[in-house]
Amino acid sequence: MNFSRLLVSFFVSITLFAQVSWAQMASTEAVLSPSSMVSAKEKLFEMTSREDVAAKFVEMGVDPQIIQERIASMTDVEAAQVAYDIETLPAGADAGMSLLGAVVFVFIVLLVTDLLGLTKVFNFTKPIVNK
Amino acid sequence: MALTRTFFVYLLALGTLFFISACAPKNPFPEVSSSASSKLFVPFVAPRSELCASSSIEMLALYWQSKNSFTPALDLHELDARTLIPAKGGTLQIELSAAARADGLVVYPLQGGFEALIAELSADHPVVVLLNRGFSWYPLWHYAPIVGYETQTQQIMTHYADTPDEMLSLHTFLSMWERADRWGVILLPPYELPVSLAKEQVLRSIYDFESTGKREEAIVSYKTAHLRWPYDTNILFALANAYYKTQRLDEAEKTYRLILALDAKNPLASNNLADLLTSQSRLAEALEIIEKTSSDDINIQKILNATRKEILFLLGLRKQ
Repeated sequence: MNFSRLLVSFFVSITLFAQVSWAQMASTEAVLSPSSMVSAKEKLFEMTSREDVAAKFVEMGVDPQIIQERIASMTDVEAAQVAYDIETLPAGADAGMSLLGAVVFVFIVLLVTDLLGLTKVFNFTKPIVNK
Repeated sequence: MALTRTFFVYLLALGTLFFISACAPKNPFPEVSSSASSKLFVPFVAPRSELCASSSIEMLALYWQSKNSFTPALDLHELDARTLIPAKGGTLQIELSAAARADGLVVYPLQGGFEALIAELSADHPVVVLLNRGFSWYPLWHYAPIVGYETQTQQIMTHYADTPDEMLSLHTFLSMWERADRWGVILLPPYELPVSLAKEQVLRSIYDFESTGKREEAIVSYKTAHLRWPYDTNILFALANAYYKTQRLDEAEKTYRLILALDAKNPLASNNLADLLTSQSRLAEALEIIEKTSSDDINIQKILNATRKEILFLLGLRKQ
């Protein structure tokens, strides 16, 4: 008897709760880009993209302890962009070139000028223009 | 023979002239620029390998701290941890923005190229830019704060690398910047607004700040924007919503009513005001507002219907 009363009140409160949750506050998003009222599908897509970012960050050696905070500071659009383009997005680094990088760079430049017949630095090259 | 030679000399001269003019920057310092030079006293942080994004944010945070009552939320070590992606050996533009927001600075995109850059510098707003130090086919990306300019010598002042206030020739700077699609961000404390942006973009940037966890600070920004654009109902709507979400209900109500004073039929403000009144059990007032509101936009009308339905439902409950 008591139990069934409890059960009934439980269901009544569930229905009440469900009905009262009709109303919603209009989000600021609505005035930013009127056409983009976010649908449930898009929300799901954004959630997945945040998980994707987290997975890629782990792969790329980011400290796992701070990954969630880093992603939380991104807007939905930003998170989606990182999830899809992280490989190709530029990453600003430092103002100096590594010594090895510089050596390789000079080597390639001289190789090209050798091949063009403008220089003769390496004896294994043969100019491809002037014979 | 002599004639041909003269002809060639002329041709060469003409060619050189053409080449020079083609390479010269298209928009050097704008004539309208209020001052011939500008130098901002931005504290310098020595460069560390792969961490130029973190250092750039820190320098600007210190600048705003030195100017007035801004307190950075993060220290340099925390900024480092939030910006570096080891496998990429650097920082994404998006993460520079995200970390700056986490530090308490609103991130406004620089739009309008060189002219906008000069306008911001003239307003004492330093700008962080992305530069490509290499070639388009061999990019070497680098972030640096721009801290001044000198019209006479055609130079840009920047904390580029090891030397504070390094002067770069305008030509070099523009070449590197062009190869990075003229990307730049204006990082400002909440009570400052950029001078080069339209209000729609300003509002969008503040909302991004709010939605990434800086709601209290964003309220300050919205208020500042409201002072500049007192009749803009979108700014007021964003402010009212932020008040509502932080449970500052009196201020929220006052702000929604201010919107309705400017635009009596504003459906979004009406809906949210009705919703707020409903949450305070002021159902009769809420119903009165919602009954005289409608919208052509299906999505907005759906929200209005839902709110109306709830008010009627609660009124029905009360009667029983």
